Amino acid sequence: MTKYTELEYLKLSKWRKFLYKIACFFVGIPGWFVNLFKKIGSAFKDFGISVKDDFVDIFTTFKNGDYKTRLSFVIMGFGSIARGQILRGVLFLLFELVFIVYMIFWGGYWISMLPSLGTQGAIKEYDPIYDTYVTTYYDDSFKILLYGILTIFFIVAFLYTWRLNVKQNAIAEEILKSGKPLKGTKDDLKSLVDEQFHKTLLALPLTGILVFTVMPMIFMILVAFTNYSGEFDGKNNLFSWVGLENFNQMLGWSAGGVNYAATFGEVLAWTLIWAFFATFTNYFLGMLVAMMINKKGIRLKKVWRTILIVTIAVPQFISLLYVSKMFAQDGLVNGMLLDWGWIDKALPFWTDSTWARVMVIVINIWIGIPYLMLIATGILMNIPQDLYESAKIDGANAFQQYTKITLPYMLFVTGPYLLTSFISNMNNFNVIYLLTGGAPTNAAALSPGGSLGYTDLLITWLFKIAINDSKFYMASVIGILVFIVVSVISLIVYSLLPSTRNEEDFQ
Amino acid sequence: MSEMNQLETPEVESKPKKRHMGIKTQRVISNTIIHILLVIMSVVWLVPFVCIVLQSFRVESTWQVGYIVPQKWGFDNYIALTKTDFFTWYLNTFIIAVFTALFQTIVVLCMSYTLSRFRFRGRKGLMRFMLIIGMFPGMLSMIILYRILADLHLTQGNAVPGLILVYVASSGMGYYVSKGFFDTIPKSLDEAARVDGATRMQVLFKIILPLAKPIVIYTILTAFMAPWADFVFARYISMNTSQGMNVAVGLYSWLNKDQIAGKYTTFCAGGVLVAIPVTVLFMFLQKYYVSGVTGGAVKG
Amino acid sequence: MKKTNLIAGALALTMAMGMFAGCKPTDDPNSSSAESGKPLAGNYATKIWVAEAAVEFTKGQIATYNSSNEDGIVIEATVEAVGEGEAATQMTTDVEAGADIFCFAQDQFARLVQAGALSQLGQAAGQIVSEANAAGVVAAAKSGDTLYAYPLTADNGYFMYYDKSVITDESHLKSMELLLADCEAAGKNFSFEVEGSAWYVASFFFATDCKSEWTTDEDGKFISVNDTYNSPEGLKAVKGLHTLVKSKAYNNSSAADAFAAAVPSAVLVSGTWAYNDILEILGENLGVAELPSFTVGEETFHLGSFSGCKLLGVKPQQDAKRSAALHKFAQYLTGEAAQIERFNTLSWGPSNLNAQKIDAVQANPALAALLAQSAYSIPQGQIHGTWWDIGKTIATGVKASDGTDAGLQAVLDTYKAAIEGLFTMSDEEKNAFTVIGSINGDTWTIDLPMTKVSEGVWKTTEAYALVENDEFKVRQGKSWDVAYGDNGQNYKVTTAGTYYIQLTIEGEVGTIELIPA
Repeated sequence: MTKYTELEYLKLSKWRKFLYKIACFFVGIPGWFVNLFKKIGSAFKDFGISVKDDFVDIFTTFKNGDYKTRLSFVIMGFGSIARGQILRGVLFLLFELVFIVYMIFWGGYWISMLPSLGTQGAIKEYDPIYDTYVTTYYDDSFKILLYGILTIFFIVAFLYTWRLNVKQNAIAEEILKSGKPLKGTKDDLKSLVDEQFHKTLLALPLTGILVFTVMPMIFMILVAFTNYSGEFDGKNNLFSWVGLENFNQMLGWSAGGVNYAATFGEVLAWTLIWAFFATFTNYFLGMLVAMMINKKGIRLKKVWRTILIVTIAVPQFISLLYVSKMFAQDGLVNGMLLDWGWIDKALPFWTDSTWARVMVIVINIWIGIPYLMLIATGILMNIPQDLYESAKIDGANAFQQYTKITLPYMLFVTGPYLLTSFISNMNNFNVIYLLTGGAPTNAAALSPGGSLGYTDLLITWLFKIAINDSKFYMASVIGILVFIVVSVISLIVYSLLPSTRNEEDFQ
Repeated sequence: MSEMNQLETPEVESKPKKRHMGIKTQRVISNTIIHILLVIMSVVWLVPFVCIVLQSFRVESTWQVGYIVPQKWGFDNYIALTKTDFFTWYLNTFIIAVFTALFQTIVVLCMSYTLSRFRFRGRKGLMRFMLIIGMFPGMLSMIILYRILADLHLTQGNAVPGLILVYVASSGMGYYVSKGFFDTIPKSLDEAARVDGATRMQVLFKIILPLAKPIVIYTILTAFMAPWADFVFARYISMNTSQGMNVAVGLYSWLNKDQIAGKYTTFCAGGVLVAIPVTVLFMFLQKYYVSGVTGGAVKG
Repeated sequence: MKKTNLIAGALALTMAMGMFAGCKPTDDPNSSSAESGKPLAGNYATKIWVAEAAVEFTKGQIATYNSSNEDGIVIEATVEAVGEGEAATQMTTDVEAGADIFCFAQDQFARLVQAGALSQLGQAAGQIVSEANAAGVVAAAKSGDTLYAYPLTADNGYFMYYDKSVITDESHLKSMELLLADCEAAGKNFSFEVEGSAWYVASFFFATDCKSEWTTDEDGKFISVNDTYNSPEGLKAVKGLHTLVKSKAYNNSSAADAFAAAVPSAVLVSGTWAYNDILEILGENLGVAELPSFTVGEETFHLGSFSGCKLLGVKPQQDAKRSAALHKFAQYLTGEAAQIERFNTLSWGPSNLNAQKIDAVQANPALAALLAQSAYSIPQGQIHGTWWDIGKTIATGVKASDGTDAGLQAVLDTYKAAIEGLFTMSDEEKNAFTVIGSINGDTWTIDLPMTKVSEGVWKTTEAYALVENDEFKVRQGKSWDVAYGDNGQNYKVTTAGTYYIQLTIEGEVGTIELIPA
């Protein structure tokens, strides 16, 4: 590949510039990876250094500290209370107490069971007096894994708080040494609505994310390394760690045995095709509709807009289910076409693989155009009108105005949006689930549970495997693979995008 | 837009008048075509909804039929709804929607305002972290969330508070759109107030919030609409207990094989009743929705 | 620093809440019996799941039971409407939160047993159930030799509904090809949901005497399958299937409203549950008949079907008294009287032998058609849950194929591979030899394990009591690709006794010896 100097580059036509950029990107990939590993390496190094520094710091704090500080190493918050920072001290102390009580009564059990995920499943016994069977439940692998993770979270939080507690003492001693007064409880409380206001604001939202988003995610990732399924449900039959076994099956690493690599590739390909068309058909058609409605001389602008928006307002499970039935083999559309004599055999809207794939994209347009129309309307209004005026004076026709002004402007501003919308389309569960449920069935594909359809995306496939066939371990393998695919795509696209996203620009 | 320069064509300026006339007739033609297109689109967009409404007034049969206009009109299907748990579901959904709208708005505003206005250690890292976990398919989480909620006794009959908890707790991830909005409010406003001695909290409540009305309404609107359509997660959490279902789950259950023949038109009637408030609200607050999605798209 | 404190505090609180709730359950020790003579007397809070249509009926039954039973049992029930398919999904998701007593379709049985959602019947109850119901129905409630559920109905099969105004010539009812021609000529559909489930696909294979028989152990785990779909007979079946799915009248549905659709059906293959709805739609034009025959070349095959049932299960209980009481109640709900009443109210065909004999049952047109079809139907035993999905791909595969023998055979090959994929075995399991046959009280269903003694020599892990004329074979990897008997025949026991069975392989030849224990 020839490298251009900056001057040469500027002289290139737009198209060439684009090609050049892409070529640069791919040529840059090895370097990029080298950089990435270097970064990771240095991150580890930095981390190591900071851990070392931390230990040194803790040690010196202990060595140089007074008895209040030293006692705080065992009784958290002691130093703070002794120095009059009651609120901080009490919170530290309380946290320590809760932690100790929790670890003794519950946490210790969950942590100790984590490596085995339980040793005794349910036991069924015959009761001769009542002539019946009773079941006694013992370990529960699911709970062990769940509360094991939570306990680890808790331990990390405790270690962090303990470190804070130590640091607090060091800082307090230093302040006192310099002869300044310490901040009291009142000051602490006051700073929570002022300098430290962001901590107040973030406390709840971040806790929510931690418990209800991050924790389930970690759990699901771990499930991929177990055999958690309907058969090994964790309570009746305990589940256990199986290492990389599931990945072997999904990716075909293990020779001989059943593997689903080909099926995964097939579904991934369709998912990408779907996401591409779903994103770009909506994007361009939505923009077109917005331009049509906004054109000078078009009447009833508001009415058109309102009509289109109905598909956003009405819940999809109503509208999509109905549309799906309309296009059924014996549905309204086929009925009418047959009545009118336009066709003599029902059209296979949902029963032929190609038809079904085109249909989901077309119906997705029906659902998606209104969003894009709204977005485009907002952006189109922001395009400075004098650009168009001068273009008109220069004799540019409507099409030229579009390709030279509107489209570049739109692409420029909505680049990141296109990426997020591509990714959310990859995970567009509703449209596929409600319209086809994945149908028609792909008879040739080998799936770890049940059947796979031609319109199934990775996300609906994963849902089928998890919910219909209770093969949670396989579903979470797919989940992890989806995650990898999505992040690779994002990474590539982000580095291709012009860096328009400097936060500070707008302020 | 440097390409503009290339568009120079001198001949246009030599005969401006004739050209002008051409443009005018051209515009009339093109506008007519566009009007026709818009009418066609409107028909395509509305047909399914009109069909659903018409089915809901059909009296002569309760199953799916091959014609659109009912032979006999009436409110029978709506009356039939009163004999089901539909209004329990409706009330459930309404409660969920109201509380979610309230709390989720608070959470989202806290997140987005903080990330937009404060510069603290770990901010960039936090944002990147949330971007990354957002890429993990959330579908599977529902299996774990179910068990957590079950342990807190917030499933089945108690699914309503459970659903509110989950919707609200995970809503912090969706801070992006409103952060984009806050980014556009000049920082100088804050600084001026800070100089005058206002605390950060006072700045938020007295200066920023009044300016943020569009984004607040956008957030409330989207948070209020979402629970009406959730049938996957809500179905999992309510575990078939009618008491804890939302409308989507309830109505969806009428479409299974045993029930569809007898409940199809009732389903349509229920669908209409669900769509009306959401649609009306949406129509009224459309303006804010547009400002929200536009801002979100621009900021990505 | 305050932030951390707050977050940590909130976290601790959330976790503590979860953890307290998540601590291990304690065993319930109180099971003292009440007044003597009525050891089961007491009130039992019970959650019951039945189909929407049966909710009111079940409530009535509970009231009757509470006032009439002699044990002093009072069932305080919450009855919830849960579809029969849905019930199994929910029960397997969370047994703890599921219903105590629930109704489900037979195909979910193994899955429920496996998930520990069904409790085994006591000995007395087991005896009553086995005697009162037909053998096929009882088999449906068994995993291995263990009874896990109460048969509730025996009408879960399919037959044919037709529109008399379109199918005017009754002689056409015997031939699928003629019916398809009638439908095509009238612009109507022939609805047969072969792409929806293997349940319907099986109709063609049963017609040509193919079978797919599965064996479970007593924990609901599938241990082997005897599947002959991929055979010359199977090829004939898919040819018949090809005729159906390639017809322009073919429609993939089993729903009653297919008769009222925009392109209405004239023929619909469905079951008794659709009868009332179809009667309402078609009125006096409703015809009910057994399934027709299809023709391949010179041969004619009568379409077969599954005959299955609905079952009532009791969730495993931790308290013996409660368990016994709930089982008593379940026994009542599935008893003769309750089944007759259920037929009278809901038209559900009884599984109880006595209830089947009453006149009203015999006169019901849907049940009569089911009875006529029953000559060609096969009792639905335990079938692997994934099979329903795998089997339906045969229909889609046939539809997409070119219809040549090679194309159709490819469909069957794919099916075979998918079936084999269900029994994923480690290399060790694949190489291991097992003994199977009519020995040890078994009938060619259970593989008895063998251990490798030395290279090429395998011996059973235990000694078995063998009777004269017992027959068996030794096979590898639980499949018949490598199997040894007596010169290709089954090995026959000549002298009774307790033996270890030993296999010695030399090259292609395997020799079986009986070694006295």
